[in-house]
Amino acid sequence: MTAQAPPTPRSSGPAPAGAGRAAVGWSGGWSSRARAAAARPWLLLAPALLVLAVLLLWPLVRVFLFSLQDYGLREITTGEANWIGLRNYGEILTAPELWTVVLPNTVGFAVLSVAGTVVFGTAVAVLLASLGPFWRTVTSSAIMAAWAMPAVTGTYVWVWIFDADRGVFNDTLMNLGLLDDPTNWFTNRWTFYAIVLLNVIHHGFPFVAVTVLAGLLGVPKEMLEAAEMDGAGAFRRFFSIVVPQLRQVFAVVIILSTIWDFKVFAQVYLMPGGAGSNRSVLNLGVWSYVESFGQNRYGFGSAIAVLLTLLLLAITAVYVRTVLAEEER
Amino acid sequence: MSARRSTARQVTKGVLVALLLVFTLFPVYWMLNSSLDAQAGHTSSFWPAEPTLEHYSFVLTEGGFGGFLRNSLVVALATVLVSAVLALLASVAVARFRFRMRTQILMLVLIVQMVPLEALVIPLFVQVRDLQLLGTLLGLVVVYVALALPFGIWMLRGFVAAVPVELEEAAYLDGATWGRMFRSVLLPLVAPGLVATSIFSFITAWNEFIFAMTMLGGATESYTVAIGLRSFFGVHSNDWGAIMAASTIITVPVMIFFILVQRRLASGLTSGAVKA
Repeated sequence: MTAQAPPTPRSSGPAPAGAGRAAVGWSGGWSSRARAAAARPWLLLAPALLVLAVLLLWPLVRVFLFSLQDYGLREITTGEANWIGLRNYGEILTAPELWTVVLPNTVGFAVLSVAGTVVFGTAVAVLLASLGPFWRTVTSSAIMAAWAMPAVTGTYVWVWIFDADRGVFNDTLMNLGLLDDPTNWFTNRWTFYAIVLLNVIHHGFPFVAVTVLAGLLGVPKEMLEAAEMDGAGAFRRFFSIVVPQLRQVFAVVIILSTIWDFKVFAQVYLMPGGAGSNRSVLNLGVWSYVESFGQNRYGFGSAIAVLLTLLLLAITAVYVRTVLAEEER
Repeated sequence: MSARRSTARQVTKGVLVALLLVFTLFPVYWMLNSSLDAQAGHTSSFWPAEPTLEHYSFVLTEGGFGGFLRNSLVVALATVLVSAVLALLASVAVARFRFRMRTQILMLVLIVQMVPLEALVIPLFVQVRDLQLLGTLLGLVVVYVALALPFGIWMLRGFVAAVPVELEEAAYLDGATWGRMFRSVLLPLVAPGLVATSIFSFITAWNEFIFAMTMLGGATESYTVAIGLRSFFGVHSNDWGAIMAASTIITVPVMIFFILVQRRLASGLTSGAVKA
């Protein structure tokens, strides 16, 4: 971003930097050329902005409008509005299910999975940084394989591994004599989310590992060697030199992971009982979906979705500030 | 003394690497193993007890997975083409021009990426329904372009900004118009970034699940691979051999793409999303 041409005196005010460069090739009539140059970024942006406005911004406005209505099958087919004010929100906020099941499942899970993903990913990055070129290539290719696994197929593989009757997990435990009868791990809320956690960490740690590794390799060797000469141990070197150097990298990695882990959907929805039949494993996203498309209560589901969006927007605001702070440096 | 300590360290490192490899690769291995085993779902063994390709041929013929693959390919390629063109134009605008509202537009692009799909699926379902595109692949493509676009703009912008402005100026000195410069200078230099972004859009469309499930509903003939998988789940028992074979077919192209672009993806993520 710093590679912009310095503006010539002629292109004053809000004229684009492109005008300064375009000034090289001609001598007269620059005002119409300059106007064309000023319009150019908007012409380039127009198609993308149109798509974003129609398919992302307008739907966001609409989901909010739906959330203020009793919007069901009848309203969908007739297109009539049935305004009920904030009643959907009142119903959500007074539902005991929200406070005992849905919010803990959403927030608690996000906290655990972000912590797990970031700590594990960082540990892997440190391990990778200490390896020779051959083993680093082998290991990072394996990590890519974990990253590339689509969420849908990855979830099915974990479901199959932990399957009650035929899964390799139960079979192995029984062969080792640690388990007498096949256990269904998907009915209990805690074991259910333990499997989701394993799935999400397995799928999410590669991004952290790759990003942190890139940062680690950029830490000056001299600083680490100097600290070692001064008698700092490995832990001390890591927390006193590496972590402060990678502050921005960690901030981005943590916030992006938080945003991703708040909206896990397929990883819960595709598990046995995850699609609404087991109410104790609902999270905000799945709750919104099953109320809308399962019960045809689109207004109520929209209100849940709005709450989830507000939660994510708050986190995003922090993210934007972090990125912009980086850009200004 | 120090030699012994460094051997101990090497051994620890070796053990850690081995554990890491087992953890990262086990699900992939288990998927392959089950897909190749005629006994999958009856006995669990750590290598195919009765090696066979039967699951694959079942999935592709009777299972109707060939059709799902074709649908996914059509949707993903259409998404890639449209979103690549739109993202490239927009990223040139934000990376090469200073204009009023530029920062606001960048913020907008960043923020819309964070919107949860669960919030978009209800209004977009109604919108696509009003357009009578429910159950069609076109409806899905339209949605996927919107989903892939913000990240595409954000990532390509890093690649565009990395092209030295001096090259553009040289083109102008040689008398090139802006359009000519775009085609002959910028486009070839941004091509690697365009490939990486396209692969990302492809993977987004290929893996997407919630919109495909909602918009395609009962239109089995339009199913993409991500929801086609569900047809192998039975009411009482699941055909795990077939599910794992189909999962392998879905996963392999994504993995090949990932390995092809891993370097660029990592550098694009950091240069586009962090430093820019």
